[in-house]
Amino acid sequence: MTDIRIPQDLWDVSDTPEGVVANWLYRDGSEVPARATVAEIMVEKATFEIDAPVAGRLTISVPKDGVVRPGSVIGRIDAT
Amino acid sequence: MPSNRVLTGSRAMVEAIAHEMRADPKVLVMGEDVGAYGGIFSSTTGLLDEFGEERVRDTPISETAFIGAGVGAAMAGMRPIVELMFVDFFGVCMDAIYNMAAKNTYFSAGHCKVPMVLMTATGGGYDDGGQHSQTLHATFAHLPGMKVVAPSNAYDAKGLMTSAIRDDSPVLYMFHKGLQGLAWMAAPEGASAEVPEESYTIPFGEARVAREGSDVTIVAISMAVHHALAAAEALAKEGADAEVIDLRSLVPLDREAVLRSVAKTGRLVVVDEDYRSFGLTAEVITSVVETDPGLLKSAPRRVAFPDVPIPYARPMEQFCLPDPGKIQAAVAQTLGKVPA
Amino acid sequence: MQPSKEQLLWMYAVMAKARYYEDTMAQAYMEGKSPKFDIGAGPVPGEMHLAAGQEPCAAGVCVHLRRDDTVTATHRPHHVAIAKGVDLNKMTAEIFGKRTGLAGGRGGHMHLFDPATNFACSGIIGESAGPATGAGLAARLQGTDAVAVAYLGEGAANQGAFHEALNLAALWQLPVIFVIEDNAWAISVAKDKSTAVADNSLRAKAYDIPGVHVADNDTLELFKVAGKAVKRARAGGGPTLIEVETYRYYGHFQGDPEVYRPKDEVSGLKARDPILRLRKHMLGKTDIREAEVEQALAKARAEVDAAFEFARKSADPAPEDALQHVFA
Repeated sequence: MTDIRIPQDLWDVSDTPEGVVANWLYRDGSEVPARATVAEIMVEKATFEIDAPVAGRLTISVPKDGVVRPGSVIGRIDAT
Repeated sequence: MPSNRVLTGSRAMVEAIAHEMRADPKVLVMGEDVGAYGGIFSSTTGLLDEFGEERVRDTPISETAFIGAGVGAAMAGMRPIVELMFVDFFGVCMDAIYNMAAKNTYFSAGHCKVPMVLMTATGGGYDDGGQHSQTLHATFAHLPGMKVVAPSNAYDAKGLMTSAIRDDSPVLYMFHKGLQGLAWMAAPEGASAEVPEESYTIPFGEARVAREGSDVTIVAISMAVHHALAAAEALAKEGADAEVIDLRSLVPLDREAVLRSVAKTGRLVVVDEDYRSFGLTAEVITSVVETDPGLLKSAPRRVAFPDVPIPYARPMEQFCLPDPGKIQAAVAQTLGKVPA
Repeated sequence: MQPSKEQLLWMYAVMAKARYYEDTMAQAYMEGKSPKFDIGAGPVPGEMHLAAGQEPCAAGVCVHLRRDDTVTATHRPHHVAIAKGVDLNKMTAEIFGKRTGLAGGRGGHMHLFDPATNFACSGIIGESAGPATGAGLAARLQGTDAVAVAYLGEGAANQGAFHEALNLAALWQLPVIFVIEDNAWAISVAKDKSTAVADNSLRAKAYDIPGVHVADNDTLELFKVAGKAVKRARAGGGPTLIEVETYRYYGHFQGDPEVYRPKDEVSGLKARDPILRLRKHMLGKTDIREAEVEQALAKARAEVDAAFEFARKSADPAPEDALQHVFA
């Protein structure tokens, strides 16, 4: 089981403490390949891509429009 | 092939472009901010990184020149994809579009081809004012010589873009900003869709039945399809079963699909975000009436933007835009439930 | 750069052919249109824009071009089409609106398209500039040393499309040569009443490209200037703007009452006829013999006569043919 975590240094929190999950690119429960882009995080007008760390079944814990910070866990992948 | 991936509209169209650019060195992209920025509406994200500056070109603010250049390059054997950032900007470059791209094949009896895709962002609802919010389907559909398509969802976005690039005729690919899945402009639920990884095409001139029904036909395209589907859901709770037709392309127009549906339901509502008069809604209704007015059990209705410039203030713009409530009311009229 | 004997004879033949073509067309055009000038009457209905007098602009540039080079021209295209090698029979049939024309009659005199010679023209002022820029872009991306030439009038040099295309071609260093045929009149408006600069070649400075002015309809001078521009473009050196001071003998369009022109302007121009000047040069300054010149002239005229006969004898298109060839 591997967490999908927003990298700690993805953006500068002194500017903007929070971002939102803009889109999930796979449905909850889907099989995803390793390193596939699974989510988009929006911080002000910038969009960052979050990739699956490993292959496996995706479980989403923060849905679309959910608020996140660097280091937040937004889901997990159970290797199959 | 079933897919797990749910792509946004923008990712889907980019994927189609990238696939064709890998397969065919003649395909190139040019337009304003299509390079490092990836397109103002994310129509070209990642393409510069993969294909480089020669094939993904930022242009100066010179629509007449770069669309004219698109025509010339297409006639010389390339397959350019040119972006007109906002469809509202057509005013400064319409000659290159409707007098050149659209007519050179005819003027040369088919000896010259113009295999150019002109992709352009349409639509309002986010308070961008009267010169940045228009839809203008009819402006282009009305003029001979260019094919015109407008996807309502990511699956169609990819298939229609692939078909557009492979088409030897000029194609106007009109994508609604609100369907791109941009982080800064929320898209309706059905805009993103499961999109296969492999390449596929969707033929032009073939509408899709987005929802089967028997009591009324609602014809729509682009963003209006989502309002129609939302209206259909609400109508179902009231016992009215609506069939929703997603036209997908305006030129060629699938009149047969509309006729088949109206033959079944006898009632017709047409929805379009473009201005009401002299446009798509009139064309669809006329296509039924001039074929067989007897198909209709009641007067057809249309839901479209009124014939006014698009106002800036939110309450005014929302008053004008098609929405599920207005569609429901129009359906009710066709069912004789409220006075017209 | 001096033209070879072959090049001189080629240019002379093209210019003589173009002149005879325009004069023949002038007569054909007026059939059925007198005594009352009904623009829709006769074997060549519609508008007609003739380039008699402007032959050097076509010959002096196209002598340097290959088949795979692209040329875009204007509403006054015949001399350029002839110089580019467009099939004279098909071109004339197209102007006569016949089924055997380049486009079966769909384009007519202002919309002549010939992909076999990479020639196209259009009736909208300035429309030649963008597509020539695109053809230059295509050549670059395809890795060839082909070039593109856009012909424009001096009036077109005030159109936005011209400026945008120059900027784009200069920015991307494309192999495009812009040739302005300054015939002094934009329909009825003299150049100094429309253009803020005396010399359009000066506008090249705004785009940081070379700009060259050729005075007095001089074929040999244009030969040199154009040769340099084409060579530069082929070598990847980017665009050039050339302005040629030329003249048109006829009105802007046939039927133009030309009230704007001083009465003796045309007769004055004829005294400096460019074809006669070239002939004089060939016979006086080279070892070309008169017989060769006469032979070239006779051959040119015979081709024109044959083309007009072909056109007149060809069938009209079927009316319903109008619905074909909208899409590829």
